[in-house]
Amino acid sequence: MIRARTFTDARQQAHSNAELNWWVFMRISGLILVFLILGHVYMTFIQVSESDATFDAVVGKLANPAWKFYDWLILSLALLHGANGARYSIEDYVRSRPTRAWVKGLFYTVVALLFAFGTIGLFSI
Amino acid sequence: MYRGREGQWAFLLHRLSGLAILLYLLLHVFSIGSFIFGERFYMAIHTTYDLWPFRIGLVFVTAGVVYHAFNGLRIIVMDFTGAGVAYQRQMWYAVLLISAASFVYALLTLWPRMVGGY
Repeated sequence: MIRARTFTDARQQAHSNAELNWWVFMRISGLILVFLILGHVYMTFIQVSESDATFDAVVGKLANPAWKFYDWLILSLALLHGANGARYSIEDYVRSRPTRAWVKGLFYTVVALLFAFGTIGLFSI
Repeated sequence: MYRGREGQWAFLLHRLSGLAILLYLLLHVFSIGSFIFGERFYMAIHTTYDLWPFRIGLVFVTAGVVYHAFNGLRIIVMDFTGAGVAYQRQMWYAVLLISAASFVYALLTLWPRMVGGY
């Protein structure tokens, strides 16, 4: 994990290229997600209520390929961003090596299954 | 826990809000995606999610997302400009202000629905 204040520091601290790439990915995906998620929260929570999120409303909205793509972009970027963020936390707070391996393995499995589930759901309409 | 100044609190809140949002996202993907199991399964989850404690919870999720988003922008500014590091404390208070404002905005906008239950 990198604890850097600037990109130059990050490049010096990174143990591997992968670690540096994740550091950059967090910034870029974060920037994109600001617009995607705030738009999503506004359109689907502030403008409409939970009881409007009926089965027919969801199916109807997702019939439009533009919304499919919008939601799939959120799904993949947010899950990757969130999974990597949680990895930082796991590496900081789970100190024992074998436990950490189990926690990570279990966590990645859940995220991967949900990604598959969400993708199948989105594109099966 | 190390008690630093604003930077430490910003970091801690960023982590906590991030983990909370991730937990919400996992539940959200499951509940919305559950429509592939049919309408009955979907509605069984969503009538529960429509109860008032969950409606209030959504206002907190909104404020948490806004905090995480704007603090994330603050981090990006810090990472790529020197001025960002110099003004990180002021920017953090601005982030807190924006988050509080969005909490109040969401609460006021959704208030009739929350008490009316529709």
